[in-house]
Amino acid sequence: MALEVSHVVGGYSQIPVLKDISFDVRDGELVGLIGLNGAGKSTTINHVIGLLTPHKGKITLNGVTIEQDSQAYKQQIAYIPETPVLYQELTLREHLEMTMMAYDLDQKVAWETAHELLKTFRLDNKLDWFPANFSKGMKQKVMIVCAFLTNAKLYIIDEPFLGLDPLAVNDLLNLIEQRKKTGASILMSTHVLDTAQRYCDRFVLLHDGQVKTEGTLSELQAALPEAGESLNDIYLSMTKVDRA
Amino acid sequence: MTGLFQTRLQRHLREMAKYLRLVFNDFFVFALLFFLGGLGLGYSNVLKQLKYGQWWAPVIALIVLVIVVQIGRFATLIEDADRVFLLPKERAMHAYFVSARRYSQGLAQATQVITLFILSPFLSVSMHWTITQILVLAVAQIILKDAFLRLDLASAYQVTAQRRMNQWWIKWLLAIVILASGLWFMAYAAVVLAVVLDVAVAVWFHQHWENQQIRWREQIKLEDNRMLGIYRFFNLFTEVPMVSGTIKRRRYLDWLFARIKSQHKQTYLYLFSRGMVRGTEFSGLVVRLTVIGMLLLYFVRGQWLPIILAALFIYLIGFQLLPFFHQYDDIVFSHVYPVASDLRLKSFVTLVTLILSVAALCLWVVVAIANPSLETAGLALLVEVVEVWYLARLYTPQRLARADKNRG
Repeated sequence: MALEVSHVVGGYSQIPVLKDISFDVRDGELVGLIGLNGAGKSTTINHVIGLLTPHKGKITLNGVTIEQDSQAYKQQIAYIPETPVLYQELTLREHLEMTMMAYDLDQKVAWETAHELLKTFRLDNKLDWFPANFSKGMKQKVMIVCAFLTNAKLYIIDEPFLGLDPLAVNDLLNLIEQRKKTGASILMSTHVLDTAQRYCDRFVLLHDGQVKTEGTLSELQAALPEAGESLNDIYLSMTKVDRA
Repeated sequence: MTGLFQTRLQRHLREMAKYLRLVFNDFFVFALLFFLGGLGLGYSNVLKQLKYGQWWAPVIALIVLVIVVQIGRFATLIEDADRVFLLPKERAMHAYFVSARRYSQGLAQATQVITLFILSPFLSVSMHWTITQILVLAVAQIILKDAFLRLDLASAYQVTAQRRMNQWWIKWLLAIVILASGLWFMAYAAVVLAVVLDVAVAVWFHQHWENQQIRWREQIKLEDNRMLGIYRFFNLFTEVPMVSGTIKRRRYLDWLFARIKSQHKQTYLYLFSRGMVRGTEFSGLVVRLTVIGMLLLYFVRGQWLPIILAALFIYLIGFQLLPFFHQYDDIVFSHVYPVASDLRLKSFVTLVTLILSVAALCLWVVVAIANPSLETAGLALLVEVVEVWYLARLYTPQRLARADKNRG
């Protein structure tokens, strides 16, 4: 059990956005966090990466909570935000080097990985540029390269498919597949349901700060037999129940 | 559209008034009066010694006038969102720009008039000009500025020939030719030339603007730069939220970072050092304060005064550096990276120690040069070393820890 979120109540202020959320992500698994705008996806992610502290409940990552040992907890996580966040004053090369320093990686090995990743995402000729001036898609690629540079046990990817070109989406999915094989887990939030349906092992459907259902696609289909075949149908029917 | 400009203008003037109140506080007004009084006195002394018929007199007048006629930019007050929201109103924007130009005239022409007024005794003494001649030259200067603002207005549109005409050196060249004709030939000639230019631009623009698109991006950028300049000025006196500084690559300073090893515990020193050197906000502050301190100390003599002043400047620099610690707080990775917060603090202390040591050294060298007494120099060195050590190693971490606690 890589990540375990149990009975988490939390949010930005005293008013909770998340109302008693529980789910888990197992080793080598890609879990899709699905929900409407404002359902609580990003809030959940912010709790997992330690930006927010839960009011109640507990988040454990391979047996460690952030309170017990924040260093050991954070060492296991790599995060790709929805909107790329960059240090204005650092070049691409320096972003990579800083990531290596922060995660205390072996520079020689890390640079080998880095060059491979840079080549894949066609950034290898931009090492001395300020990524802050890149286009959104290219900034996102920088985030991906920085995250996959690490040997994190858990990758947290917030809405990766918007803004990336189709080639990059494909490369990212390959990268995820490859890391899964080495035992890493991925928690990914997204709206792009047909891609999610094809690649995620399991789904957590969030609605209004609560976990509506979770499970593999066949489990979801079994739980909501009238809803339809695809993740899209299931998801729409779930939100409709609520709207009615 | 004229209404829109008026609303924006009111908002703009309110904002400027707010800052001007802060800038012209009692202390500053007092200092300014002294400064202006001193300048006036110096100028009148120079005038007394001036003789008629020096060849360089018109050259100086020309240089002053040509520079001043460039002052007073076209204030459009347009905003970034305008290129989306006002795009359907592109034709109607003409009225807006015309209002903007009218408003821009005010400050720009006042500057011209004041300059001519200040210059008039110089012209009358060194060139024996009459009042009429000076007034005629003033009219030429005003019309020339009017033509330049018209060129600025035209450059808001994508008229290719016009864009070529609005290149910066054209304005300088036109100003030199027209004003030189006034100074060396006769003042009326300058008026005639300026009027010809003004009318030509006006007619040409009138015929063309309706078929042209607005150059939104360039205009927005120009306006942003103009406002940034104003905010920078205010920022010298008070905190201005709009000034966040810009980033410069400064490749020639990369050698500074060579000593910082790529180690886990240096992660934040790696970031802080680059942020400090390449961001203009804090590095500018440090350099400004150090240079001002050095200039001041060069002219200050005495046993204790230089030491106290040097200490004061080091304190000022150290104090101003504190907020830099939080520079990267809203970047999520500063929280996600597995770097212990005390490592971050240690890096910051190292950075502050380095910066203060260099600044202290610069100040000390000036003290030592200005005061040949071994005693003063030695004492200054001692005081500075103790102060840098205290500020960087004790005060900074304590202050930041306390601020951290208050944040919760």
